[in-house]
Amino acid sequence: MTVRRVLLLIGRHSVLIGLAVMFALPFFFMLLQSVMPLQQAKTTALWPGHFEWSNYSRVFDRIPLATYVVNSLKVCALTVTGTVLSCVPVAYAFSHLQWKGRNVAFVFVLSTMMLPFQVLFVTQYQIFSELGWLNSILPLTVPAFFADAFSIFLLRQFFLTLPGETLDAARVDGASELTVLRKVVIPMAKPGIMAVALFQFLGSWGDFFGPNIYLKDENSLTLAVGLVRLNSAVARLGESNLTMAASVIFVAPLLVIFFFAQKVFIEGVTLTGSKG
Amino acid sequence: MDINPDATRAAARRIATRKRRLTVLVMLSPWLIGFVVFTLYPILNSLYWSFTVKRYGAPARWIGLKNYELLLGNDDLAQALKNTAYLAAIGLPIRIGIAMLCASLLARPRRGNGTYRLLFYVPSIVPAVASGALFFFLLKEGGPVSSLFRLFDAEAPLWFGDPAWAKPALIMVGTWALGDLMLIFLAGLVDIPKSLYEAAEIDGAGRWAKFRHVTLPMISPVTFFTLLTGMIGVLQSFDQAFVFSQGVRRGRLTGEPDGALLTYAMLQLRHFQDGRIGFASAMAWVMFLITLAITLVMLATRRRWVHTANEKLL
Repeated sequence: MTVRRVLLLIGRHSVLIGLAVMFALPFFFMLLQSVMPLQQAKTTALWPGHFEWSNYSRVFDRIPLATYVVNSLKVCALTVTGTVLSCVPVAYAFSHLQWKGRNVAFVFVLSTMMLPFQVLFVTQYQIFSELGWLNSILPLTVPAFFADAFSIFLLRQFFLTLPGETLDAARVDGASELTVLRKVVIPMAKPGIMAVALFQFLGSWGDFFGPNIYLKDENSLTLAVGLVRLNSAVARLGESNLTMAASVIFVAPLLVIFFFAQKVFIEGVTLTGSKG
Repeated sequence: MDINPDATRAAARRIATRKRRLTVLVMLSPWLIGFVVFTLYPILNSLYWSFTVKRYGAPARWIGLKNYELLLGNDDLAQALKNTAYLAAIGLPIRIGIAMLCASLLARPRRGNGTYRLLFYVPSIVPAVASGALFFFLLKEGGPVSSLFRLFDAEAPLWFGDPAWAKPALIMVGTWALGDLMLIFLAGLVDIPKSLYEAAEIDGAGRWAKFRHVTLPMISPVTFFTLLTGMIGVLQSFDQAFVFSQGVRRGRLTGEPDGALLTYAMLQLRHFQDGRIGFASAMAWVMFLITLAITLVMLATRRRWVHTANEKLL
């Protein structure tokens, strides 16, 4: 190894380690602050004098955290189910069924992703209000059963990587398209479906805008809204240790899911529709 | 009875075709219904409302272009657009640049790269409201960042208390969560044929020359894609700005301090929540038209700066 190569290696790794520290440090401070005793949380201390684990239980006293978690999980379960049920057949029609105008229609579906949410929600609010759905989770969950463009896109790109011959073989054996979809495509496309489900879960779990305008009753809020309320309530009191403990509770499930399903995130997403 | 085999076959084919069409239609139906009910109708309806005075529970009253005229002279709107322009012109290049740097450092399979990728990606799964709360704490007076500044005997800016520093703070959070962008760049970098780098090496190209003349042109469709979606994202940015300005003062969406954090989407929500449905609809349509204009201009000028040999993404 030449001196030049060693220097390059050191340079590369110091850039990478520097970046890694920048990405990780906020998490580190979040954890530290979440166990900071109150008197210290109001000072400039960085390291807690002792680990005040009771901060986590005090969050439960401050907001109905368990209720919020259940509400969030309910919304997530329904939106994930809805997205998978509705997007799988649509993505199948856009990948393995032949029909006139398919590609033009697909570009059209994609172009709806560019639509600002703002141009939709004003009227959607009116629709849900006339249906008497305000202050319920229906406005947040029912639309998920009607296929969104992003999930259709991800699924279609994944379906395209499946071998068409296998599908044709099933068709020759007399299987209907629905059977092909159920018995051939879905079993092979599990990683893609998993990725879509995970992205939907992340999206619903973290969604603030929708729950914030549709849920009014204190006990119907999701954790994302609860966190924002807690954050603005304790910001004046200086109890950032409680906000950080709540944030840890909010983010931890996502981190756990991520570390178990990292392959799905980092590799299960195919952008180009070709197996790389 | 005389059976014409051709006619039977033709009839069978017709039935098969009809059945196939029906299958396609049934499979597409979730999207079709959703599109009409939750997209098409709301868009057209909000266009109508944008020409009216409208409050919930009351009929709309036609006022022509009045809402749009009011928008033109609205100081808050000018402020929100200025903020958006700042975030797009400064925040977006920083975000895309660092994402590209991370991706190109990690593109080739080497030992340790998998761990780095994970580490760099993790912040982007943190929802905006949580990263907002986190950075609000990190940057507050007496928080960890100001302690770090003190280590170097420097005075930390007030961030969310100072209009000049509020937007850089917002950009910081966005940059922290650039993992999704990095993944898109990684996917693009993997697609670049190795032979191009080998050819460049034979021509005596160094690292920089290879990046400049192979990587950048080959990755340009991806860069284009991230710029386009990034612009649209900035225009609609809401969550983090909302959390930050909420933390400063509860209640109304003011975009504290001094409107420095007021985004277009926040301003629109404020009018919506104050019950000015017609005006909020006009704002939404203006946002729609701006998005459309940006998209069309970028698509039209695309050939000038996007290398077209690698067009799979768009």
